[in-house]
Amino acid sequence: MTEPIVETKQSENKEWEPKIIAFLCNWCSYAGADLAGVSRIQYPPNIRIVRVPCSGRINAYFIIKSLTDGWDGVLISGCHPGDCHYISGNLVARRRFAILKELLEFFGIEPGRVNFMWASAAEGERFAVLVRKATEIVKKLGPNTKFEKKW
Amino acid sequence: MTETDKKIEIMGNEKPRIGIYVCHCGVNIGGVVSVPDLVEYAKTLPDVTVGREYKFFCSDVGQKMIKEDIEAGLINRVVVAACSPRMHEPTFRIACKEAGLNQFLFEMANIREHSTWVHMKDTEGAYEVAKDHIRLAIAKARELAPLAVQKVKVEPTTLIIGAGITGMNSALNLSAAGYKVYLVERSATIGGHMAQLDKTFPTMDCSSCILTPKMSEISRDKNIELLTYSEVEEVTGYVGNFEVTIKKKPHYVDQEKCNGCGICVDSCPISVGNEFELGLATRKAIYVPFPQAVPSEYTIDMDSCVVCGICARESVCEPLAINYDDKPEYITVDIGTIIVATGYDEYDPSGLKQYGYGKYDNVITGLQMERLLSSFGPVIGKPVKPSDLKDPHSIAFLQCVGSRNFREGGNKYCSRVCCMYATKQARQYKEKHPEADIYIFYMDIRAFGKGYEEFYESAARDYGINYVRGRIAEVRENPLNHNIIIRSEDTLLQQPIEVEVELFVLSAAIEPRADSDSITTLLRIQKSADGFFLEAHPKLRPVDTLTEGIFIAGVSQGPKDIPDSVAQAKAAAASAIALMAKGEVEIEPFFAVIHADRCSGCGMCIENCAYGAIEYVDDRRFGTIASVNVALCKGCGACSGNCRSSAIDIIGFSSEQLHSMITKRQ
Amino acid sequence: MSEENKWKYGFFLGCVAPNRYPMIESSIRAVFDHLGAEILELEGASCCPAPGVFRAFHIPTWLVIAARNITIAEELGVDIITGCNGCYGTLRDAWIELEHEPELKKMVNEHLAKIGRQFKGSIEPKHIVQALYQDMGLDYLRGFVKHKFKDLKVAVHYGCHIIKPSDKRPWGGECEDPTFLDEIVEITGAKSIDYVDKLMCCGAGGAVRTAVKEVSADFSREKLKNMRDAGADIIVDCCPFCHLQLDLGQMEANSIYKDMIGEPYKIPVVYLTQLLGLSFGIDPNLLGLIKNHDLKGVTPFIPIESFLEKVKSQLT
Repeated sequence: MTEPIVETKQSENKEWEPKIIAFLCNWCSYAGADLAGVSRIQYPPNIRIVRVPCSGRINAYFIIKSLTDGWDGVLISGCHPGDCHYISGNLVARRRFAILKELLEFFGIEPGRVNFMWASAAEGERFAVLVRKATEIVKKLGPNTKFEKKW
Repeated sequence: MTETDKKIEIMGNEKPRIGIYVCHCGVNIGGVVSVPDLVEYAKTLPDVTVGREYKFFCSDVGQKMIKEDIEAGLINRVVVAACSPRMHEPTFRIACKEAGLNQFLFEMANIREHSTWVHMKDTEGAYEVAKDHIRLAIAKARELAPLAVQKVKVEPTTLIIGAGITGMNSALNLSAAGYKVYLVERSATIGGHMAQLDKTFPTMDCSSCILTPKMSEISRDKNIELLTYSEVEEVTGYVGNFEVTIKKKPHYVDQEKCNGCGICVDSCPISVGNEFELGLATRKAIYVPFPQAVPSEYTIDMDSCVVCGICARESVCEPLAINYDDKPEYITVDIGTIIVATGYDEYDPSGLKQYGYGKYDNVITGLQMERLLSSFGPVIGKPVKPSDLKDPHSIAFLQCVGSRNFREGGNKYCSRVCCMYATKQARQYKEKHPEADIYIFYMDIRAFGKGYEEFYESAARDYGINYVRGRIAEVRENPLNHNIIIRSEDTLLQQPIEVEVELFVLSAAIEPRADSDSITTLLRIQKSADGFFLEAHPKLRPVDTLTEGIFIAGVSQGPKDIPDSVAQAKAAAASAIALMAKGEVEIEPFFAVIHADRCSGCGMCIENCAYGAIEYVDDRRFGTIASVNVALCKGCGACSGNCRSSAIDIIGFSSEQLHSMITKRQ
Repeated sequence: MSEENKWKYGFFLGCVAPNRYPMIESSIRAVFDHLGAEILELEGASCCPAPGVFRAFHIPTWLVIAARNITIAEELGVDIITGCNGCYGTLRDAWIELEHEPELKKMVNEHLAKIGRQFKGSIEPKHIVQALYQDMGLDYLRGFVKHKFKDLKVAVHYGCHIIKPSDKRPWGGECEDPTFLDEIVEITGAKSIDYVDKLMCCGAGGAVRTAVKEVSADFSREKLKNMRDAGADIIVDCCPFCHLQLDLGQMEANSIYKDMIGEPYKIPVVYLTQLLGLSFGIDPNLLGLIKNHDLKGVTPFIPIESFLEKVKSQLT
């Protein structure tokens, strides 16, 4: 099964906007994003959300593949440490990401492209605030041209 | 929900034929982005054979459109772009099932909560997000495979945590339906805060008169195992199959031998503050919480007891029922459903120094006033001033103490019951003391329920209670007589006023229990921003939690009065019965699977699994590898997040599915 | 107790103390010197500017002038101490606001650049009470007490800006029931008495004194009545403007409201460091307590002889 290779379309007169893929855990962060929606809290349209059962599900390869596939930034959000629906999935994730961060920097990926955060189901406002922050950071870093795999 | 004999066979290698259904959701989506354009875009993506739009796909008409396409053989995958899957995924899965398509060949794209509602002004941005979310959902849909639901049996037993009016009502409903109930209460008696109330608004029913019959019913009920002075220690398992460990705290009194004579209480030399009387009276170290307690058991409060041995003497306790060596007992039971009804704490106004609580004698809280009014309280229902135990000739109530407070550390919500209970307490006092001056200082009077407005009007008109619209700025004490001098503004008259009263009652807020975190950790349920337990949906699922099989009810879900608490108690019981009635429940078959040929047996997944669901096995082809026990697996993915060999994967959120969503952005 | 120069402060004088109550400035210098703190002069400091009047007219101007004053201390690398609630209110509020609002800080620094200055936020503006209570601590101060009062009832007057806005003050959010000033007063053996409406404003600030003198005199009258009813021997304050309002204002209240008050008030008004200095055994001349001239219409307006009598009988 093949997919057409599509080129990046960018209008000439529009400012470049980062595209960030956001992996949200079903029980906390996805619900928090839903709450932001229900509460009509506005945030910039730069993230694309992928639902996962738990932040622990995110394998390092997903993050790296996101970057090689041209996403400008990656956001992973889970439950606050101690509140994981699956008891310790987010703690496993946190340890993994602490090491991964160093490895990514070693690869030459700018700190700030990959962001980890915690937001609970009741924190719609916090979710929006953190998304705005991450968007700003990635925007400052500019488009991800270094790591996008050219086919 | 209808069962169907139709079954459309899906082979593993059949080409996906995806139907995309973009919903207008009224104007929620259609008013921000162009739905027709989204449909047209979706139809350009590979493997999409049908694209439709409609105002409300969740409606019967909408669902029919989807079903007809399935039955006509046009599609074998369904993607609906609409609201959050947490809203309608079950709705559409059932529709697919009814049309004969495996319900797990369905995926949703969230273009409402995650697009049009959060980018309302930025229509171009919202459109781009919606396009991408549709593209991602379609990408995942290509990789979906038919799955069979897991059916697990449901234990027809309910655990209810908390035996106040809410917990008790749920227990009685469940018992009447034939289910066994474990009713666990951490204090030595059932009844909760309602046992502390004197009369209830708006009918002025005596609280004990309506509560105590229920309490006796509970004690007599054959289906209800009442475990007072007990706490839930551990909960493992999942819906229908919880394993609960309960700690029965030691009473230090052998209930079999005790004959309830009470001589031990008279002989006990230790007096401490009485929690039931909120510090307005004392109790002994050996005690019964209040005269009508159920069960009527004696307990020694070991934190206060000095083990003097007096109560253990034969001359005091003839049956020799005292046992200082009593130990806690642990029992483990199988539970199908859990209801949390843990109630509330009253706000402590000592922090609000301007109101003098804790500093001046004649300042008390609403619940303390309730105890003063109670016919079995410390003053047998004749409220007195703490300073000199005389009847007050004037009383002032202050509303919203600790509620509607946007300062750091304050509670922003309205506690809902205080306007009514202050009116009730004022009326009660006026009935006995018609000449007394009573003031209620308020910001807004909330009299929303059935009969409430009439009750309030009557209090103001017929009873002559003075409602003063103004926040009290501060109070001070008249050193000669300990009267409270109040400084406030009457905002309707636009004048500052100063009033001297003999008793000052603070209508303190309802707060979540200080230790509610112990429940959230125990059960893995969430709290909302105000600290009360979080319901699955504020309108449509007010007593469900996000965890299947666990329900919340009563004030633990949010401040409310007795009628609403009882309504929620019945709702939670009905929801638990609905789950247990069929004897089995369906579970999403999203488990971990191991590709044996790729597993190196490193054991990383075993370490990361919080449920102990993975273990080593000896495979004759590949040696020592990991194996998943599907009964224990929750499908969280902590195992596959770390797997170096891509050997372990999660059905429903597989690597292929996730990668298909990540790959090649436009 | 050793007297090393471990504390260095820039002394912000303000306006009222140097111009009208120089004994307040004198007593602050004497006490801090005695306690082993080094006082540096803030050359070129201007009016703070006033937190009530000035801030009400134009906030940006108020911020820039306040920031300028702070930069003088920043250049010396020392924290500011001031003996005036108003100056404390201005300098501290400005310091905190500029730290939290980068846009405001930018605006202020654009103006300060024109005179070759930059606000960095590197030093903390403190009240002398803050320095005494928190930097030095009560135990350290007690070590300097040589004489204790046996029977002196003090009506302590906190004033307003020293405790509010509570989130910008170092007292842990406490503004309804503070006790720190009472505690300092009581190390001298005096008793800080409770009186009705202890935390009430003196009536001077916010242009009340300037614009509607009789209203401000009414404030003083009410405070004085409550103090007298509680049996106060003296008033102790920590702000020159409050000091003025309770001293000169006492005379004004006696005159404007003479029909209401009965016996005219004559409660001596003593600044905190004057009281402390006496207890530490510092020469009362340095504390500005001995009148050494015959001029009329000069502060203090309410005679302090009754207080000095008590000092003589109780402290020597």
